Amino acid sequence: MNVRTLLGSAALLFTATLAPAAELPDGKALYGTYCAGCHASGAAGAPKVGDAAAWEKRTKKGIQTLYASALKGTGTMPARGGAGSLSDAQVMAIVNYMVGASHTSGSAAQPAPAEARAPAKAVPVEARVAPARTPDTGAGKTVYQMSCAACHTSGVAGAPKLGDTSAWASRVAQGMPALYARAIKGTGAMPPKGGNAGLPDTEVRAAVDFIVSQVRPAAAAAERTVVAAAAPAARSSDAPAAEQPRVTIARALEAPAAAAPALAARPPSGAGDPNAFNRLWSGSAQRNPPPLEDGIHDPASAGTSALQPPAASFDKLPRAMAGNYVNWVGALSARQIQPRWEVKAPGDPTVMDMNIVREVKGTMPDVVFPHKQHTEWLDCASCHPAIFVPQKGANRMSMASIVMGQGCGTCHGKVAFPISDCRLCHSRSKDAARTASGR
Amino acid sequence: MKNRCKALLTAAIALLIVVSFVYDARDARAEYGDVVLNNYSDAAGMRPVVFPHWFHRVRFRCKACHTDLGIKFKAGGNDINMVKIIDGQFCGACHNSTVAWSVENCELCHSGKPGTPTQVHHSTVNLVNPPASSAPAQARSRR
Repeated sequence: MNVRTLLGSAALLFTATLAPAAELPDGKALYGTYCAGCHASGAAGAPKVGDAAAWEKRTKKGIQTLYASALKGTGTMPARGGAGSLSDAQVMAIVNYMVGASHTSGSAAQPAPAEARAPAKAVPVEARVAPARTPDTGAGKTVYQMSCAACHTSGVAGAPKLGDTSAWASRVAQGMPALYARAIKGTGAMPPKGGNAGLPDTEVRAAVDFIVSQVRPAAAAAERTVVAAAAPAARSSDAPAAEQPRVTIARALEAPAAAAPALAARPPSGAGDPNAFNRLWSGSAQRNPPPLEDGIHDPASAGTSALQPPAASFDKLPRAMAGNYVNWVGALSARQIQPRWEVKAPGDPTVMDMNIVREVKGTMPDVVFPHKQHTEWLDCASCHPAIFVPQKGANRMSMASIVMGQGCGTCHGKVAFPISDCRLCHSRSKDAARTASGR
Repeated sequence: MKNRCKALLTAAIALLIVVSFVYDARDARAEYGDVVLNNYSDAAGMRPVVFPHWFHRVRFRCKACHTDLGIKFKAGGNDINMVKIIDGQFCGACHNSTVAWSVENCELCHSGKPGTPTQVHHSTVNLVNPPASSAPAQARSRR
C-alpha cells in the first residue's frame, strides 16, 4: 500500500470532516483563535503549520508526547498555548489539526513509516507500534491519529482508551469482525467511522487493528515471534522468551507518554479481565470526572465544554471518602467556601448546637444527630415538620427507608454525604455489655 | 444485493440488542448529587437539564433554594418550566442577569444527553429503583 497517498487522503478527510462533526472540538477553528499567533508565523521558534520537516521531528516522538507538550508547555510555549480555558480534548484536537495540516502540505517529510524500520535492538517507540505484521498497522496508526485519537486517547464521551487493556478486553473478545462493524457503523456515542464518513472501510479496519495491537501485548508478542521466526535472520527456539521482556520494556516505555495528559491518567476500570485486581472497583482516578466525560452531559452540546469541571473546584477543598469526595462541612467551618445564606445576600445562619442521640437496634453504634452542622446549611423550616416531627420518639426511621429517600435519606445518599459513610452518623459506641448481649 | 441488505439489517438489529444490554446506570459517572431534570425537555426537543448540586452548594447554603425559594427536595418533584423561570420562580430567582447569568444561555443548563431520565445521580434510590428508560432517543445516547 502506498503510505503517502494514504496519509494524504487521511489528512484530507480529517480536515474535511472535523468541522461538521459536532461532537469533536473543531481543531482548525480553535487553532486559528489560540495558536496561529505563533504557529502560523513561526514566532519564538514555534514550528510552523505546514512545515513538514519541523513537524516530522516532533511527530516521530509520538502523538502522546505532542499532546503532553501542548498541554504542559514546552520551551517558550506556555501550557495550552497560554489559553488555560481550553479543555484537554480541545488542545488535542488542535494538535491533530496542526499535525494533519503539516502532513498535507509536506512532501518528503512524512512521518517515517514504521514498517520501514527493522525491529532493532534499541526498540524505538514506533517499532513497538508496528511489529512489521502488515503495512496496514503503520497506516492504521496514522488513521488512528487523524480520526480516532481525539476521543480514544483521552476517553472522551466514554470512548475506551487506547492501551486500556481491561476496557478493550471485552470488546476484543467479541471478535474482530464485530469490532470492525461497530467502528464502521458507529456505536453508542461514537458516530460511524468516528465521524469521518469519507474514510474507506479498509482504513477503519486498519485503525481498529492498530488499536487492538496496543492492547494485546500477548497476542502482539506471539505475532512478533512468528515474524521473528519467519525472518531471514531467524532466531533460535528461545525467541518467545526473548520477545516477552522486549514487549514489557516497550510497554514500560509507553507508560509515561500515555500518562502525560491528565485525562489519560484514569486507570482501567477492570471490567472484562476476570483476574484484574479490584475487578469491580472504579478506582480513585475516575472520581469527579469533567462534564465532557461524565456520561450524562452531551458532548455535542456547546454548553458542556463551557462548564466548570468539578475537580477544578474540589482541588482546594478538604477531601472525604465518598460522595463528591469533598468534606463539605469541613470546608464550610474552615471558611474555604462562603456559601450565601440568602439568595441575594451573604446573611448569617442561626446555628443551634444540640445533639440528638438515637439508640439503634443491633450492634451498630448509636446515632448522634448534630443540629449544629445541619443548621449551618439549613434552617428549622427546611426539615421541620415536613421531614421530621420536632418531638422525641415521633419519627420512625430505618436504614431501608433512608435508602429509599425518607428521613435522613432526603439528602444523605443524594447530595449530603452518602450512607456508605456509616460511622459519620453511627458515631457513639454502645457500652461493652450491651454490645456483647446483642440487644 | 439482497444478501447485503439482509446482512446489514441483521447487523443493525444485533447492534441494537448489544447497545440496549451493554448500557447500565454505572456508565454514567456524573458528579455525586447532580440532578437530571427531564420533565419536559425531551418532549420539547431540548436536551435534559443537568443541575450541578456541587457547584451551587459552594455558593449557597441549602436553605437559600430549598426553603426560601421553595424548591422541594425531590428530583422532578418541582413543576419547573421556562415561563416560571422567566417570571422569576425557581432557577429564575437568580438566573436573570442579577445574581447569575440569564436564560438565553440555553445550553449551559440544557446540556444532558437526550433521553436521560430525571434522577439524582448516585442516589441510593437509583440502586433500588433504577430510573425508568422510556424515550426511544435513549437508544442512541446509551452505550
